[in-house]
Amino acid sequence: MSESRRLGVRGPLPGVPQSGTASVRDAERKRAAIASLQAGFRRQNIFLVASLFLTAALAPALPFVEDWMSMQASLVIIYILAAQGVSILTGQTGLVTVGHGGFLAIGAYTSALLAKYFAVDLSLSIVAGAVMAGLIGCLLGLIFLRLAGAFMAIGTLGFAFFIGTIVNNVPIFEGRDGIQMPHSRIFGMLLGDTGFYYVALAVLALTTAFVYILLRSPVGRAFRALRDSEKAAESSGVNRLFYRTLAFTTSAALTGIAGVLNANITGYVSAETYGDIWYSVDFLVATVVGGSSALMGPFVGGAFIVMVPFYLEQLADFAFILKGVVLILVLQFAPAGVCDVIAKPFRDLRRKQLQRIQDDVEKTSPPALAALFSRGRQ
Amino acid sequence: MFGQQVVSGLAAGSLYALTAVAVVVVFRNTRTINLAQGDIGMIGAFLALLFIKHWQMNYYAAMALAVVACMALGVLIERTVMRRIANADWLTLFTATLGVFYILHGVAGWVWGRDTKAFPVPFDPTPVEILGTVVSFGHLTNMVWAAVIGLLLFMFFRYTKQGIAMRAVTDDPETARLMGIPVPSIVTLTWAMAGFLAAFAGILIAPIVYVSPQMMDEILIKGYVAAVFGGLYSIPGAILGALMIGVAENLAGGYLGSQFKTATAFVLIVALLAIRPQGLLGVQTRRVI
Repeated sequence: MSESRRLGVRGPLPGVPQSGTASVRDAERKRAAIASLQAGFRRQNIFLVASLFLTAALAPALPFVEDWMSMQASLVIIYILAAQGVSILTGQTGLVTVGHGGFLAIGAYTSALLAKYFAVDLSLSIVAGAVMAGLIGCLLGLIFLRLAGAFMAIGTLGFAFFIGTIVNNVPIFEGRDGIQMPHSRIFGMLLGDTGFYYVALAVLALTTAFVYILLRSPVGRAFRALRDSEKAAESSGVNRLFYRTLAFTTSAALTGIAGVLNANITGYVSAETYGDIWYSVDFLVATVVGGSSALMGPFVGGAFIVMVPFYLEQLADFAFILKGVVLILVLQFAPAGVCDVIAKPFRDLRRKQLQRIQDDVEKTSPPALAALFSRGRQ
Repeated sequence: MFGQQVVSGLAAGSLYALTAVAVVVVFRNTRTINLAQGDIGMIGAFLALLFIKHWQMNYYAAMALAVVACMALGVLIERTVMRRIANADWLTLFTATLGVFYILHGVAGWVWGRDTKAFPVPFDPTPVEILGTVVSFGHLTNMVWAAVIGLLLFMFFRYTKQGIAMRAVTDDPETARLMGIPVPSIVTLTWAMAGFLAAFAGILIAPIVYVSPQMMDEILIKGYVAAVFGGLYSIPGAILGALMIGVAENLAGGYLGSQFKTATAFVLIVALLAIRPQGLLGVQTRRVI
């Protein structure tokens, strides 16, 4: 296709050479170079994340790693999963949620009830928890369809309290006494601490791949378009009803999976833990601290939220203070999250590499053609 | 029975109103959903308890001192935390108040411990009978306090220079600034007012829920529900919402069973937001923040 057709202009563009000429071939080669450089960046990203997971998978074999650490690591993974859910809704779609503790509770109670009454396998339980939380998330998304901003935050907070009241008062959930679950099994095998860690890690690998693919797909673009401007997105043909509900459903399902794992890690659920808003608040904080729109944001945030109280076990109140202070400092000095700060030097380096090719193009091509290329810079 | 439930509902509602009004005042002047509102009051209740128990102070003197301390706390929060990020998007502001919420919670737990403590009342708690309904004296005083504070606020917003300036900032911060209103000081004043209201909410509710770091959690969410009922911009709306929630939850508690009492507020908020996303008295155009 000639450049003039691409721009929707009849006839040749003034100042733009026709295809087949030397300068166009040259420029097209450079466009390809930019594309391959960007593909290389993506491969680097995937490689980094994959090696992170590989390290985590090999970690239990290391000599200095002790058994109790796998419990702690599983807890970190649970928080990461939940924060991934929150980041889809809050970071990508721009709907702030303070209610994901509710979805965690839904996943946890689904798993507990299935295990207690039907002795369901953990693998099925994970699916059931995701579906259950997803359904209720879908419903909540529809109910809150017209909410925006602060109203959404308060609405979801109300939802978390609502779920808390239900598990406290409806008899089947056994309130503060809680439900004792039989020992978790996956595919019929009894799970130890390390086994559980591997299950959690495998689930996290799947969800991370899912989130990565989702966010790079047109669906992810639609989410971000809704976040940046609902009006503009809608007038460009983004179906608000569909994508908002989809964001709610996916986000709730991910947190529901976290809930299933959270119930199975202790084998016990009660309104004591799921009845208040601390989970909801912690997940939002994890998302914001890590960086709400970065893929690795939930990893950093989840680890932060779990590890701070762990190392300050004797000083639970001090952990609260520390969490608050770190949160405020992050907001004041790194509003895009810790991940953003870590990634900045690498991003700058890559930008420089891209810029070099770009400058090359601009030097050797006629101005109008260079203008066409500058679109690729975004 | 019905009258009884309505009166105790109004008493509870008047306490939610203190939180709801503070939520509205802070939100409309600074775009901040202040989750620390309840915990400022919690600190106030702890301070008042400290003054009464350890310093053997008179109830009213302790109350006055705690109110001043909470106003100072509000100003401190504004100066150290919120001012630096005043121009950020509202999620940042909101999460920052979450940070404050954590800190206040941690400080209270650290200094005073997690267990609940009784709070002394300065009056004879026997119920009195008014117009055929038996009213607990505590409820009555709380309602009187709330009414007096409401009247004070009304006069402040209506007749004082600062109050009018505050309303101007609410309407249009940019124009207010151009007209020579010192917007940053007005924002500080807003947070002082939040502290003032929080202190009263905390101290007045303390004899009912007892003093503990988590004492205000439920009051806070109900205050929010009430504020949203009013559309987050209207003080009368917030008061109306608070009274409605108080009455509704007491009626539900009386007729359906006490376990439905707390759930009522959340059912109400979910239903209201589904039907009228901008709140009961909300202005549609103000929704975008």
